[in-house]
Amino acid sequence: MVVSTARLLIFAVLALVVCTGLAEAQKPTSIEASLNRDTIGLDEQAILQVIVSGNEADLPAPQLPTLPKFQVYNQGRSSNIRVVNNEMHVSITYRYLLMPTAPGTYPINNISVVHRNKRYAADNLELTVLDQGQAPSQQLPDPSASTSSSAQDYFLVATVDKTNPYVNEQVTLTLKFHIAVQYYTTPELTQPPTTGFWTEMLGNRAPYYQKINGRNYQVLEVKYALFPTQTGELTIGRALIRTTVASKHRSQRRSIFDNLMNRGDEITVRSKPIVINVRPIPSEGRPANFTGTIGRFDIAAHADKREVEVNQPVTVTIEITGVGNVKSVAEPTIGDLPDFRVYRSSSSESVNKLDDRIGGTKMFEEVFIPRRPGELTIPSLEFTYFNPRTERFETKETRPITIRATGAEGYAGGNGTPYSPPGVSIGSEASDIRYIKQDMGDLRRSGNIILTSPLYVIVNGVPVLVMVGLIVARVRRERLSRDVGYARSRAALKVARKRLATAGGMATVDRTADFYAELHRAVTSYLADKLNMSPHGLTGERIASLLTERGADGDLVNETTEFLEQCDFARFAPATIGKDDIDQALDRAEKLIVRMEGIRLG
Amino acid sequence: MAKRILWLLLLVPVVISFGVEADAQTRREAFDQANRLFQDGRYDSAIVLYERILADRVESASLYFNLGNAYFKQGDIGRAVLNYLRAERLDPRDDDISANLEFARGYTRVQMEGVKLNPISGVIESIIDPVRLNTLAWISSLLFIAFFVLLSLRYGLDFRDAWLRRSAVLILVLLIAASLLTTYKYRHDYLTRRAVLTCDQCPVYIGPSEDLDVELQGAPGLVVEIVDQSGDWYNVLFENKRRGWIRSDLVAEV
Repeated sequence: MVVSTARLLIFAVLALVVCTGLAEAQKPTSIEASLNRDTIGLDEQAILQVIVSGNEADLPAPQLPTLPKFQVYNQGRSSNIRVVNNEMHVSITYRYLLMPTAPGTYPINNISVVHRNKRYAADNLELTVLDQGQAPSQQLPDPSASTSSSAQDYFLVATVDKTNPYVNEQVTLTLKFHIAVQYYTTPELTQPPTTGFWTEMLGNRAPYYQKINGRNYQVLEVKYALFPTQTGELTIGRALIRTTVASKHRSQRRSIFDNLMNRGDEITVRSKPIVINVRPIPSEGRPANFTGTIGRFDIAAHADKREVEVNQPVTVTIEITGVGNVKSVAEPTIGDLPDFRVYRSSSSESVNKLDDRIGGTKMFEEVFIPRRPGELTIPSLEFTYFNPRTERFETKETRPITIRATGAEGYAGGNGTPYSPPGVSIGSEASDIRYIKQDMGDLRRSGNIILTSPLYVIVNGVPVLVMVGLIVARVRRERLSRDVGYARSRAALKVARKRLATAGGMATVDRTADFYAELHRAVTSYLADKLNMSPHGLTGERIASLLTERGADGDLVNETTEFLEQCDFARFAPATIGKDDIDQALDRAEKLIVRMEGIRLG
Repeated sequence: MAKRILWLLLLVPVVISFGVEADAQTRREAFDQANRLFQDGRYDSAIVLYERILADRVESASLYFNLGNAYFKQGDIGRAVLNYLRAERLDPRDDDISANLEFARGYTRVQMEGVKLNPISGVIESIIDPVRLNTLAWISSLLFIAFFVLLSLRYGLDFRDAWLRRSAVLILVLLIAASLLTTYKYRHDYLTRRAVLTCDQCPVYIGPSEDLDVELQGAPGLVVEIVDQSGDWYNVLFENKRRGWIRSDLVAEV
C-alpha cells in the first residue's frame, strides 16, 4: 500500500514536472531574482538567487548592480537543461552571498541579462539590514543564532598563533569548523579576506573528533600561513562555511517521504574577524645588506666546475634554505670583482611546508666569467636575515670558491693584466674626412710640367751634343791620319800664313830676293797642299790651268799668274824694287790666298 | 761683353728668388690664416683664402687638399672631389689625399654602375699611380743621359768593351720602358682632360643642346673625361663608359 502510494506520488510529481517543463518551454528568455530572506542582521548574510531561463544553451550570465553596502561572493551556478518535444529549456541558477557592511534598507534593482541584443530585467528587490542582534527570529535556522547559542550544532573558530608579528613573519591562521549534526553536502569554505597579507595555504587536516561540553563534534581544520606585507593594524576577515545539515523541523517520525522530499537546511557559518598588530623590523643594528627577509636561513654556494678557460663561464649556484618567506628572499649582493665578469642567470624557489611553517630553498644561478688566467677566488657571499625568535639580525656566509682559470687561446695579456675579449670591433671605414694639412709644402707654378721645361730639354740635349761632338772629332781625327791630301788641304792655309809671316820678316830692301822667293813659295805651296801635289812642278802655266779646271774665275787666274811672274821678276832684278812694292806684294799675296780659300780646290 | 752677359745671367735667378721668397712668405701666412678659419668652422672664408693663393698661379698638394676639405665640409662634394684629384696628381703617394678622395666620392648622390678597368691599363696604372710625373720624367732623363754617355764612350772615344755594350742594351731597355710610362702618365694626367661635375643639377644630354633628350642625370662629384667639345658643350665619358653632352659651366677640369 505504501509502495503504491509512493509510485502514485512519483508519477504525479513527474507529470507536474513535465507539465511545468512544457509551460516553461514556451517562455522566451526570462530572468528572476529572489532573496532567501528580506531582513537580516548585520553579521548575517542573505543569498541572492538569480535564475536565467530560455530556449538556448548559451545563456549569458546576469549583471548585478553595484552593491556598495555589501560584500558580494559568487557562490557558483547550477544549470538545468530539459528537452521536451524537441524543445529545449535551459535554466541557469546563479547564487550570490550578500554580506552587509552597514545597517539600513537597500534596494537591489537592475539585475538584468542581455540576450540577443535585448535586455531582460528582474523584479526589484529590497533587503533590510538590522543592527546586530536585532534580527527577528525566523522559522529558518539562524546561523548567527546557532553560533551564539549554547547548544551549538556547529561553529567556526578562527585562531592565529601570534597577534603581533613582525612584518613578513609568518602568522598561522587555523580555521576549525566544529559540527555535531549530520551534514549532507561537503562544507564549502570561503577564505577570509586577508588584505595586507601574502597568503599561502598550509593544507587541510584530516577530519577528527573533539568533545566539547559533553558533545561530540567533528572538526574540519584548515591552516593558512599569512605573511604581513605592511606594518600596523591588519584585520583577518571572517571566514565562511556553507553546508546543508539535517533539518531541525522534520517530524520526529521519520518517514520515507521525509527522506525523499526534505533535502535539509542550508546553513552558513562565519568566524570572527581577528585583528593583527604588525610590528616593523627594528632599525637598530640593522646591517646594510639586510633586505627584509625574516626567519632562519642558511646560505651555501657551489660552482659547476673548478677549472675553466679564461672567458669561459662558470655557473655558481647560491642556495638559501630555511624557514620563512622564501619567495621574498633577495639575491645576495656580489660586488665588483676584478677577476670576473658576473651575469645574473636565473632564480628559482621551492617552497615546503613543514610543521605548519613555510620554508624552502631559493636558488640563484650566477655566471662568473674569468677575466684572466690564474687561481681566482669568488669571495664569500653574505646573507642577512632577521630572526624573530632571537629578535636579532643574523648573517650567514658562503665559503670562498677558488676557480683555476687557464689561459685561453689567443690570450695576450700578461700576469695581472685583465683579459678583455674583443668586445668592440672598429671597422676600417672612416667616419669623416682626414684633417687639413698644416704644412703647405712646396709651392710651384701651376701647370708646370718638367717634361716641357727648358731645363729638361737642356739636360737631355747636352749628352746628345757631347756625343755628337765626340763622334765628329773622332771622325775628323781618323780622316786626318788616313788621308794625306785631306790633311795637307786642311793645313794649307795655316802653312801659307806662316810663310807669309816669315816673308813679312824679310820685307826689307836689302833682302828683296829672299822676300819674293818666300812669297812665291807661300802661294805655290798653298796651292800644292790644297791640290795634294808636289810644289816643284808647279809653273805659272800649270797653276793657271789647274785653277781654271777647279772653276776659279779668270780674274783670279790672271791675278795669280801675274803675281807669280812679278815675284820671279823681282827675285832676279831686285834693284828695281822699292819698299812700297814689297809691302804691296805682301798684301797682294795675302789677298790671293784668301781668295783662293774661298773656292773649293781640294 | 761676354762677361757682362754672364753676370746678368747669374743675377737673374738671385733677383727672381728674392721676389719668390717674399711672395712665399705672404702665401704661407695666407695658408695658415685659412687653416685657422677652417679650424673655427668658417669654411666659406677658408675657401676664399685658399682660392686666393691658387689665383697667383701657384699650387701644392696640401693647398688643394685643404681646399677640398673645406669644400667637403660645406657640402660641395663636386669641388671637394675636384680639389682632391688635383692634389692627388701632385702627390699621388699621399695617403690622406686618396683616403679623402675615396670618402668624398662615397657621398656622391649618384654612383656609376659597372665601372671596369681595362686590365692592361689597370696594371700600368697600378705601377705609375703612386709615382709623380716629374719623378718618372727624371728617371727617364737619367737613363737617357746614361745611355748617351755609353754611346759617347763607344763611338766618341772608341771604347770597345763587352760590359759597355751589355750595359747600353740594358739601359736602352729601361729607357724605353721609362719613356713609355712617362708618356702614359703624361697623357693620363695632362693630355686626358679629366673633369668633375660640380653642378647641383647635372643633366647630361644625348647631344650638345638642351632641346635634345636627357641621357642621364649626373650628380656633383662624378668624374668624367672630356673627349670632345662643341661650343659651350663638352662630350663627356663617364667612368662606366656612358657618354653624353653637358654644358661646360657645369663641370670643372682637373
